Amino acid sequence: MAKFLFVYRGGHESPEPPSPEQMQQIMQTWMDWIQGGTEAGWMVDGGTGLKAEGQVVQPDLVVTDGPFAEAKELVGGFSIVQADDLAAATKLAKTSPMIAGGGSVEVREFMNYDIP
Amino acid sequence: MTAAEPVELVEHFFRHESAKLVSVLTRAFGIARLELVEESVQEAMMAALRSWRQRGVPHNPAGWIHRVARNRALDALRREKVHQLALSLSGQTEEATEALIDDWLLEERLPDSLLRMMFVCCHPALEQRSQIALTLNILCGFSVSEVARGLLISVEAGKKRIQRAKKTLADAQVRVDLPTAGELKSRLAVVQTVLYVMFNEGYSTSRGHEPLRDDVCEEAARLCHLLCEHETFSTPSTRALLALMLFHGARLEARVDSEGAVILLEDQDRARWDRRLIRVGERWLARAGSERLTRFHLEAAIALLHCHSPSVEETPWGQIVDLYDRLLVLSDSPLYTLNRAIARGEAGHPREALVAIESIRGDREMRDYYLLDCAAGRLHELLGDRSLALAAYSRARSEAGAPHARALLDKKLARLR
Repeated sequence: MAKFLFVYRGGHESPEPPSPEQMQQIMQTWMDWIQGGTEAGWMVDGGTGLKAEGQVVQPDLVVTDGPFAEAKELVGGFSIVQADDLAAATKLAKTSPMIAGGGSVEVREFMNYDIP
Repeated sequence: MTAAEPVELVEHFFRHESAKLVSVLTRAFGIARLELVEESVQEAMMAALRSWRQRGVPHNPAGWIHRVARNRALDALRREKVHQLALSLSGQTEEATEALIDDWLLEERLPDSLLRMMFVCCHPALEQRSQIALTLNILCGFSVSEVARGLLISVEAGKKRIQRAKKTLADAQVRVDLPTAGELKSRLAVVQTVLYVMFNEGYSTSRGHEPLRDDVCEEAARLCHLLCEHETFSTPSTRALLALMLFHGARLEARVDSEGAVILLEDQDRARWDRRLIRVGERWLARAGSERLTRFHLEAAIALLHCHSPSVEETPWGQIVDLYDRLLVLSDSPLYTLNRAIARGEAGHPREALVAIESIRGDREMRDYYLLDCAAGRLHELLGDRSLALAAYSRARSEAGAPHARALLDKKLARLR
């Protein structure tokens, strides 16, 4: 089993923000997905969401407000999952509520620590 | 990870938190700040969604959202230059304002702000359709497009109506107050009417079936219940109105089949009626005693007679006719005339009932009203005249706008042919 990082970007940038009732549905879908994955064993850590505002430290130690990405490119959160290989992890990512919400999921395999 | 015992959100949690927060914060900052308040509440809920979706709901989700929304609103106000001026005018320090908001957000203090907001949404400066739209938007947490869907208007029309209503209230500098003793009676009557029409709007699947419309009914009953819990607003007529909503609500489930088609009273499976709701309604009606019976009392009494009848044949139609007679004294509505005629027909006088129905056919409210011809069809059936019944049901079918109404009539027609 290999471990993977799911990086969530964007989502829910429709011109009209979701209504309270829609928010509740989105929330429920996420919680069901995370809980389902945890029970099935492939969701190692549901992870967390990230605030939009932050700062970036440049090589010259200059600190800028950032990351100033487009909303759809902004990293909004991450989770850690385990799967047999990249293809299997990608298959799991496709079931993420992020996709249904118009966002994207980047799937990245953890580097081997043991000698491969 | 705190996956041990995930906290479940109560049904419509976001909707109702939105209503509470908008009411309390508008009460604190004034109707002119409604837009700022709504944005702050929206942002707080988005923050909750992003923060909770992966880690689960915190143990006090309401408290979480309240604090974030309050802080966002105060931040937004701080950015307004007029804020300082407003503060100096009200004589409140920021800390005092904050403490006041927290106090108003306490569970037991919340109804006060919600009721104030209810009277604001039903302000006499607004026309009735706007009062209903605004009530759904602010006090029920419906988005503009949900209001539009619930009221069967276009999103564009709904948006315009709600924006105009908010502007009217701001221009009139309406205060988020309860009515004074002198205006109490008339203001309460407006609120009752809004809730009554709102409920009927959701209840009349005659123009399209949609689960959201059940929510409209549920919300109307919830707000009416809020009035009934208050010592001043819990008048006999308010209680009768709540009883009426509960009796109708008890039949909601049985009114549609698995495909969403309407089932008329005579064809409903009465075992599916919600006995618990009927009992709760009866308790409210028992406490609605008054020398002056309102239309809510009389309509509730009719609904209760239906609730207690095991079948169409065993319904006390004579009593129902009497109650419609008393309603017609209160208001000469063609809808009462139609329903009285239906009851009269079932009571064994279909011929006389048909005459009554023809007498209101020209009425503006009855024009293209498919239930009128539907009732005529039923009366012809009672008279044993198959061909006239077929003709009436076909007319009803051509008037019916929504697919489920046409489906209902297709079934009737198929049965007769």
